[in-house]
Amino acid sequence: MRRLHPFTLLAIAGALPALAWTLPAPWGGLATAVLAFALTLTPGASPRLPVFRTALVTAAPFWVFLLLLHDVASTVAIGLRITTMVASFVWLMAALAPSRLVEAMVAAGWGASVAYLFAATLSAVPLLRARARRIVDAQRCRGLSPRGGVASRLRALRALALPLVLSALHEVDERALALETRGLVPGVRRTPLAPPPDSALQRIGRWGLVTVCAAALVWRVTWSG
Amino acid sequence: MVRLTLDRVTFWYPATKAPALRDVSLDVAAGEVVALVGTVGAGTSTLLLVAADLAPRVIGGRLEGRVHFEAPEEASGGRRIVLPTPWTQVSGMAFTVWDEVAFGPANLGWSREEIARHVDRALAKLGIAHLASREPAALSGGELQRVMIAGILAMDPGLLLLDEPTAELDPAGARILWQLVRELARGGAGVLVATSDSDAIPEFADRVIWLELGRVAAAGAPALVADEALCAAELGTTVADTWRMAGLAAPYPATVADAVRRWPAR
Amino acid sequence: MAGSLTPALRLETVSFSYGVVRALVDVSLALAPGERVALLGRNGAGKSTLMRLITGLIQPAGGTVWVGDWDTRHRTPEALARSGRVGCVFQHAEQQLFGRTVRDDVSFGPRVAGVPAPEATRRVERALRALELERHAEEHPYDLPPAFRKLAALAGAFALEPALLVLDEPTSGLDRALRMRVTRALLERSVAGVTVLVITHDLTFAAETVERALVLDSGRLMLDGPLPALLGDAARLESLGLALPPVAALSAALGLPGRPTRQVDAARALARVAAGRPVP
Repeated sequence: MRRLHPFTLLAIAGALPALAWTLPAPWGGLATAVLAFALTLTPGASPRLPVFRTALVTAAPFWVFLLLLHDVASTVAIGLRITTMVASFVWLMAALAPSRLVEAMVAAGWGASVAYLFAATLSAVPLLRARARRIVDAQRCRGLSPRGGVASRLRALRALALPLVLSALHEVDERALALETRGLVPGVRRTPLAPPPDSALQRIGRWGLVTVCAAALVWRVTWSG
Repeated sequence: MVRLTLDRVTFWYPATKAPALRDVSLDVAAGEVVALVGTVGAGTSTLLLVAADLAPRVIGGRLEGRVHFEAPEEASGGRRIVLPTPWTQVSGMAFTVWDEVAFGPANLGWSREEIARHVDRALAKLGIAHLASREPAALSGGELQRVMIAGILAMDPGLLLLDEPTAELDPAGARILWQLVRELARGGAGVLVATSDSDAIPEFADRVIWLELGRVAAAGAPALVADEALCAAELGTTVADTWRMAGLAAPYPATVADAVRRWPAR
Repeated sequence: MAGSLTPALRLETVSFSYGVVRALVDVSLALAPGERVALLGRNGAGKSTLMRLITGLIQPAGGTVWVGDWDTRHRTPEALARSGRVGCVFQHAEQQLFGRTVRDDVSFGPRVAGVPAPEATRRVERALRALELERHAEEHPYDLPPAFRKLAALAGAFALEPALLVLDEPTSGLDRALRMRVTRALLERSVAGVTVLVITHDLTFAAETVERALVLDSGRLMLDGPLPALLGDAARLESLGLALPPVAALSAALGLPGRPTRQVDAARALARVAAGRPVP
């Protein structure tokens, strides 16, 4: 799956939630949710089991909230749709390398700085996670307990979140300078280093997904609305 | 020929009243290594940002005086700066060190062959060819600092601006870097480097500029790092400072070799 | 509290691996109260792993780590810190600050350790004074240059007043005046009975600050002895991936009596030899 063109990955991750919300509940949502979870287990979305588990754990709380607010039928209907969104997104994060997306966008004629902005949002997650772990370690060695009652948990959250945000904000300026000096300026024509291989089949597949989504929407609006 | 000239430059950061640089004049020519020394807050980093055309153009603020940079048409890279903290300079767009180093050259729109040639050469110069396929996020501070320097070298700069380039390096890594700086100057580049490693300055610098509270306090030959006033400001070399502490007469020796020459056999 | 005879830190045949990579192999050592020690070695020699073991962030795969009279295996990092047995500062500590002011951040440790307010205030003031940060106490940490933020992080560990201080590269990014400030502060803590362990590449700083050297290479403790003796042995230094610092190089090159490795001692020897007086 990882070998697919980034645009194809995006198309799949976009089409599943779109279909989940347009197809009739609960069977439409069930089908897309099953497909999305199947994706998290495909080779390439490595490591496989953690991706599946992350998707499951992230989707679970939504079900609890929905059950508190709605009856069982709506909970199942909306829950399956949200689960599809969550699982598709988690899978996309695992399967799509930001650098490949940038290469693909550059090869498709996008400006490098626009492509960077898009991809930086994706790549920020693992960087922030690594830094958060370092900060938690440092604060524990200053006596901060990540366990305990509400008050101590709130204090722990503050001791993690504040330095994370403050140091990140502080570094934004420096990052901008570094990118500038490394030639990432608006309007630059960047050389694609290793443009991800695309194929006619994948292009047809992408357009096919868009067509299916559009058809599903038209069908829902005109016939079963 | 590459040449950077600052003529009576005063610079204010945005929303500040006191200037960070006051009336600074200097020039750096091709083939020359100029060292900037100063205590924390003296303005060496600011001066490098001005020299890199990042202040005020990108970070804002106000500049009086004149900054002039001339480079021949073919000096593709122009002037480039390596900032002191490597982790803020990683593009985050590369899964391997090789791609990270290629990030800058790719933005210059060079052909892929040209990019590959420059990247391989820069990796070899920094002694990190063995890291080429590693993931940048998994590197140590010292390794990452070398990668970031390679990333700028690969852009073939005419004027190289370095801010504390050895901060994360171990002594062996620092020695290699200072040798590289010399080699780059021999290859025709101009280098302006801010460093707190005074002991290394006599090895690599052609000239030294001492900044104090944003002003040029003194400028001259590398022997300046053995100057009495510089030692008093904690900026002299360890050897010169030891000489001064012993109450021996100035001029002080800058290096161990100087000291041996000055020390009659007893 | 640990009595004065209990080592502040004791490692008994400690081993640790990351998967198949052996980071530490059978390391044994003991640090007495008030001792000042440098942990030296190349990048990747196992120094950071040792620090994580001492702070309780990881547990040894084999052997035992004693911090004071506590076996780290049964303790959390926060309990070790709160008990006053160990205080540590990681390499990029300037990224850990979150107080509204420097003073607020420095007081974090004593506050969570449950130190009564008047005593906590005294400790914070002592820590700020030790690192000469009083002038910056009311400033926001992120308004300060990184070098001062680093000192603020050191002050945070000082304020815990632990029996053992473990510092990772405390001088990186500092100029010489600030490095000497750190040296003075550590000497002062040591006189008060605090054991100081610094991980550093900066042998000039080590020569001024510590008396004993531990050298790790490929996870093994290759050397444990007086630092001046190590600095007098250029070949040994080279083989361990270390470079001769300027003062030791000067002493050797000029044949200064006693081969001093600290700057004041070298200056004194220079002055005596220059004046034609015998060196005691």
